[in-house]
Amino acid sequence: MKIRFLLPVLAVVYLAIPYLWGGNNYVMSLLVAAFIIAGVALAWALLANLGGMVSFGHSAFFGVGAYLSALLCINYRLPVLAGILMGGIGAAVASIAMLPALRLRGPYFALAVLAYANIFKILAMEFKGITEGAAGVTNIPALPTVMGFDFSSKLGTYLVIVTIVLLFTGSYHLIRVSHYGAALKAMHDSEDATRVVGVNSTLLKAMMLFVSAFMTGVVGAVNAHYINFIDPDYAFDLGWTLLPMVAVVFGGYRTLMGPLVGAVGIFMLDQLVFKALIGTGHQIMLGAVLAVMVLFSPDGLVPLIGDKWKRIRRAQA
Amino acid sequence: MEFAKKLAQTAAILSLAAFASTAVADEFVVGSNLPLTGPQARWGQEVAEGFKLATEAFNRGSAKHKIKLIVTDDEGNPAKASAAAEKMISDGAVALYGGFPTPAVVGAANVATKAGLVYMSSGYGGTKADFKNFFQINAISGYQKAIAGTMLDMGAKSVSLIHNTKEGSAYVATAVAKALTDKGVKVTMHPYDSAIADFKPIINKIKLQDRPELISMVGYESEYIGMLRAAKVLKPEVKAIVCAYGVATPKMMADFPAELQNVYGTTMLSYPAEFATKDGKEFAEAFKKTFNKDPDYLAQFGYVSGQVLFEAIARAANAGTIAKGGIAAEMRKTDRETITGRVTFDETGFNPHFVLRMGQIQGNKIPLIWPKEAATGKMNFPGLPW
Amino acid sequence: MFDLILQATYSGLLSGGSYALIALGLALVFGTMRVINLAHGEFVLLAAYIAYTVESQMDWNPLLALPISVVVVCITAAIVYLLVTRLDKNREMNSLILTFGLGVILTNLVLFIWKADIHSTSVGWFQEAVVLGPLYSMRSELLFFITSVVMVAILWVWLDKSWYGRAVRAVSSNRDAAKLMGINPHVTELISFLIAGILASFSGVALYCASVIQPALGNALTIKAFIITILAGIGSIPGVLIGAVLLGVSEALTITLLSSALQELTGMLLLLFVLLALPNGLFGRAGRRG
Repeated sequence: MKIRFLLPVLAVVYLAIPYLWGGNNYVMSLLVAAFIIAGVALAWALLANLGGMVSFGHSAFFGVGAYLSALLCINYRLPVLAGILMGGIGAAVASIAMLPALRLRGPYFALAVLAYANIFKILAMEFKGITEGAAGVTNIPALPTVMGFDFSSKLGTYLVIVTIVLLFTGSYHLIRVSHYGAALKAMHDSEDATRVVGVNSTLLKAMMLFVSAFMTGVVGAVNAHYINFIDPDYAFDLGWTLLPMVAVVFGGYRTLMGPLVGAVGIFMLDQLVFKALIGTGHQIMLGAVLAVMVLFSPDGLVPLIGDKWKRIRRAQA
Repeated sequence: MEFAKKLAQTAAILSLAAFASTAVADEFVVGSNLPLTGPQARWGQEVAEGFKLATEAFNRGSAKHKIKLIVTDDEGNPAKASAAAEKMISDGAVALYGGFPTPAVVGAANVATKAGLVYMSSGYGGTKADFKNFFQINAISGYQKAIAGTMLDMGAKSVSLIHNTKEGSAYVATAVAKALTDKGVKVTMHPYDSAIADFKPIINKIKLQDRPELISMVGYESEYIGMLRAAKVLKPEVKAIVCAYGVATPKMMADFPAELQNVYGTTMLSYPAEFATKDGKEFAEAFKKTFNKDPDYLAQFGYVSGQVLFEAIARAANAGTIAKGGIAAEMRKTDRETITGRVTFDETGFNPHFVLRMGQIQGNKIPLIWPKEAATGKMNFPGLPW
Repeated sequence: MFDLILQATYSGLLSGGSYALIALGLALVFGTMRVINLAHGEFVLLAAYIAYTVESQMDWNPLLALPISVVVVCITAAIVYLLVTRLDKNREMNSLILTFGLGVILTNLVLFIWKADIHSTSVGWFQEAVVLGPLYSMRSELLFFITSVVMVAILWVWLDKSWYGRAVRAVSSNRDAAKLMGINPHVTELISFLIAGILASFSGVALYCASVIQPALGNALTIKAFIITILAGIGSIPGVLIGAVLLGVSEALTITLLSSALQELTGMLLLLFVLLALPNGLFGRAGRRG
């Protein structure tokens, strides 16, 4: 990301927003929820954009991260931040089970991952000795207080999740500009051709899957420590895949900022506008957003606005 | 020009509002987070109706104190429930109320605890709550008492217990199984996932392997109907079918009269409602007048929660202790008869007196048949839908 | 034990039949266009709710709702088709997202119109038991199964014998070659969408008569249909019936031999096994999936 973009973004999320709304717990809790979606959306977009894979099963990683971190912190007294890291690593390890699905194409991969997500949820339900089964895990420790600052407050959680999401965005950017990114891009253009020039495309895809799973697991773990409660239905809810997907399609999955702008935008629209307008069944608007975006601007809102902006600038020049 | 007009309007409204709030000096804001949209909306709406009715009734009967109710939709999602709770607290709520599901109650109750406010609920699925100032008018144990109690009164020696693996249902089923096993009853569990399409394989296992005297089921509406239809085809030789929530409601009886004949289900009310008390009669009439339908048990939970909470607020206001945690103290002192029975709160915040009743669908009526002191009709036993 | 397994197999066979009718439309569209219509379950749901309306509002037998369902669902299917053809790039992936969005819209429309209450037919005839020796079922299940088998047979023969059927298959195997031979691929694809609509109407009405419907059901139906399509392999019509029966029987046997809580696990494991071990499904002609 170019510096002239980075600085304003940092200024907005770390200075402007806390200054304007830091004391307003309502706005902060909406933003926390939105950035949790944004984190998953970013991971989803990374897999879709760099790996070329559409996943219907990111809820699997979210749930594994949430459960692993919660259980480690409760049963083994792991510090919460270490637990969150372990949640991410655990989700990446869990994604090893999905490696055989990597050779599947498009919709087949999407469905296979959905099957995995369902299987993980059933396992969380059935292994009652470890996961407490359907009853769920209660009393998950909250984010810690560091040097007198309470990170379990709304503002604290906001700063944690925003930092994590921005770190992930940075890593995504670094991967994209690295030679892996170049190889992945070449792979998109022609998988057979890359194989001929000696790029192992399955290995590349596997690495993207690990990275995406890790990110999703970390976000799932943060959410578990934020809500302090998980059960299989909630932690592995299909919604953890679907809302980020809507966010990515809305914001655009080829750009870095697309998933973030999309997630915050769609979450706020849904909660503040659609719900007020429609009430019961306001989810219909999410469906409509998906359909309209795919039909009229498959690359999402951010590139669309970017194009307009460039055109205006050019016209002015 | 247009802007100036808008500005003048806003100013007018604001000054009116300021005037109104000084005129009614003693108004308390109570917030409620409920699933009004999303998959649990059907139940959330019922609870909200009961709670609204309680607010109206309280405001009519109380000259000194008024309750201003804010209901916020949380879609049954904990993060949204947490945001809803923050919003309502910033709007001045002195106490919060939430129905279910459990994750949403936890999300909002954590916020209330941090803010030092009372959180009232009627749908937390756990058996112990870890929040300060948490109160619940009912308890999972109430279902267990009614279901297990009815079956023990029937003199059952063996029971096959079919239940959904979801959190609330699994809790109730496990508790029922324990209560029965403790009394020497043989219990066979049959957990199922919501994805189930056909209950015949389960019923056939019950029919050929378990051979119980009774079948019991804890699940959701469509699943009860699926199970009962499968049972009607296979006709296991049992004496009765005893279900949990969602069966003995006027709506279900009207929609599925044939399937539900003689089936038992937990409820609070007989149908047509026969209230012994004045309170109960007033509730049923007011509900029918306001919402143009018969109240079901969820509406009652909302109503009673409201009653208890608003009275505690009024008492704390009279004592001038609202700002000093007086509502929680008054809540702990609660001891009153309500349309769902006696309400007090133990140290964990649950109501130890809470017991559901058991109704049986007989023709187009649902008389209460358990416990004996609340019974409004006689049990058809043995009695089956076929 | 033997009795249990026998009945479970029979129940699974009948459930499988109903799954097949639900999956058939999805499989046909997938075979022709390589588009997975994630709104297919909602088509079925729509037909089921129309049957409910006809029964509750006009007091007719729900089976009489079929003509109305066919008209409404086919119009919906045609709209979905027209939207799908508007996708110009990366159609395989974007159609997934598009039809998923349309499915969400349809589910919520159903919720708007019919509310969240559960419904099923009140005609008791459908729930009467049919006893064949040691085997038990409801009349409606048997009817659903027979309808399914008949529909599979008709579709199979039609695809094999009629001109349009051959056109559908030609477009499915090589769109450009079919164009050269004077077949309009747009018309053939539209026809396969319309047939999917008709099949969904039959399944929806049958579902209303045999089971209990609620708005959230559409998504579950789509996933089941999708699994069966994969089991069958691309382009195999009888494969759909066999795949569906395989799924139905394994689910019923899981309930009988293990636990009913593991029923969904069986379906998912079966799906993964076929996806990973049998790249062309059980019966599909060779097609590249990886």
